[in-house]
Amino acid sequence: MLRRELNELLTQTGPGTPMGELFRQYWIPALLAEELPENDCPPVRVKLLSERLIAFRDSEGRYGLIDEFCAHRGASLWFGRNEEGGLRCSYHGWKYDVTGQCVEVPSEPDNGTFCATVKLTSYPLVKVGDILWAYLGDPAKRPGLPEFEFVHVPSEQTYTSKRWQESNWLQALEGGIDSSHVTWLHSGALKTDPLFKGAKGNQYNIGDLKPFFEVAEADGGLFVGARRNAEDGKYYWRITPWIMPSFTMVPPRGDHPVHGHFWVPIDDENCWVYTFDYHPVRALTPAELQAMKAGFGVHSENIPGTYRPVQNKDNDYLMDREAQKRGEHYSGVRGIAIQDASLQESMGPIVDRTKERLVPADSGIIKARQKLRKAAIALRDEGVTPPGVDPAHHRVRSAAIVLPRAESFLESCGDAVTVIPGTPQTSV
Amino acid sequence: MNRPILLNSCARAATSAEARFRINVPIAPSRGTRVVALDAGAERVVRRVAEQPWATARFFVCKSPTLLAQSNGEVADVGLLSTHGFESRLSLELAGADVAMMVASTDDGAYAARAIGDACTLRGTMTAGVVLAGGRDAGETVSALRPHARVLLVTYDEQDVSELLTALRA
Ligand code: FES
Ligand SMILES: [Fe+2]
Repeated sequence: MLRRELNELLTQTGPGTPMGELFRQYWIPALLAEELPENDCPPVRVKLLSERLIAFRDSEGRYGLIDEFCAHRGASLWFGRNEEGGLRCSYHGWKYDVTGQCVEVPSEPDNGTFCATVKLTSYPLVKVGDILWAYLGDPAKRPGLPEFEFVHVPSEQTYTSKRWQESNWLQALEGGIDSSHVTWLHSGALKTDPLFKGAKGNQYNIGDLKPFFEVAEADGGLFVGARRNAEDGKYYWRITPWIMPSFTMVPPRGDHPVHGHFWVPIDDENCWVYTFDYHPVRALTPAELQAMKAGFGVHSENIPGTYRPVQNKDNDYLMDREAQKRGEHYSGVRGIAIQDASLQESMGPIVDRTKERLVPADSGIIKARQKLRKAAIALRDEGVTPPGVDPAHHRVRSAAIVLPRAESFLESCGDAVTVIPGTPQTSV
Repeated sequence: MNRPILLNSCARAATSAEARFRINVPIAPSRGTRVVALDAGAERVVRRVAEQPWATARFFVCKSPTLLAQSNGEVADVGLLSTHGFESRLSLELAGADVAMMVASTDDGAYAARAIGDACTLRGTMTAGVVLAGGRDAGETVSALRPHARVLLVTYDEQDVSELLTALRA
């Protein structure tokens, strides 16, 4: 349960809100690199943290992320012409470069000085891995670039997709921290999904439906451990890291690629879910890539040419009651990503947390909310840089590991949850 | 693939405007949370938390000698001292409780943790543990509580005790 003011504090990320300012301390995913595939390609409308922006790639390959609307009379630059080193508004021909600087106002005399006084808001947009990252905060406080492992392994080892989710970012993120739903909602996937099945660890999952949970602090956020009984009095641990504000990883299964998410607010009622899969030491196989693109694992099958899932709110996520009865999909909805999306969207655009009945198994979520709240307030009142801004905090991994009972998951698997380039993930 | 199948059942009603039609009735607090401080460090925190207003939560410290005679030959009972000063015992307090929350800052309370864990297992009462790491190495405390707390929170922030209780409507 959260008081109404706290629910508002955590869910509102527009300019000037405490949580919005918190998000503006970080580099966040703004687009997939594939959305701006070549120089002078069509610009893309991007809404991030409730700001309407346009992203483009100019004739020299520079990326720009600027105010969507022309300074002249407010037409959308999405209709503009991306050519000769800038984006030109189709209405009266005003032209802007990637920094938002107006470089030409055709109605003014040649070599006039007027355009020098016109500049649209712009934010840095940088390609790291398959993602274009944006920083919407104070330029003086711009941190080092992201160091998450999935954007730093060679490109044949990693794949990222994205999907539009019609809900506030926080209820989406909470799904990424909430290990206790996996046993129910996603139970079908352990047996059949090509990106999950066959791992030894799956047996422990299936064999012990009442895991114990352990929540511990990390420099950049939290580690949430779920433990189940393994053989010989040992424990099977699944460890999920959360790095603030909204990066989570799923514990691995066998030698399958490791996956995770970035939950990025579009506005207060919509978010982007970036979903990645990578292997620290080997290329993804053609079969794995094909499965990811088809929406298996934690990915989604999207309507071609869009990032809206084929299974969505308008078609009841293609609910299949027969499959629900047969036990093929616990909820009757196919695919892990859409199983999550369907339930999270069903809560309403911004879930009313004053009505929740939380239980101790929700401790990870409770603690994450508290860390977000404290960080947002410390930033607002004292200017404290929040956890997760320092790129060193990004170098975490999820892990799946069998340990003797007495060992603490964090002390015994410090290495397992730290990125050591060139070493495989710790997985059962 | 666009196959609207349940439009007759208001599938599109999940908007913020529709949210105001949700049934709005008062939500009952949880049936009862028993918070037990297992050592002196934890006691200080629990006493502070106990001063806040709570719905049904009750707060205790483990009395020494901690363990009472094993009442039924199986599970030990624990003597408890409420933060209001009255004496009680675990077996009484667990009747009607939803959750037993143990708070520890050292592994001094290992035996009490076991007794509480066993009693809760027997009754089907949920267990939770908060380890106040306080910057020190908390490994031993965590190991002492781990087998007996279904959910364990290891924290540097003692406010987490009240934070958890608030979230649980204690
Ligand atoms: S069981 Fe968790 S939301 Fe219904
Ligand atoms: Fe999920």
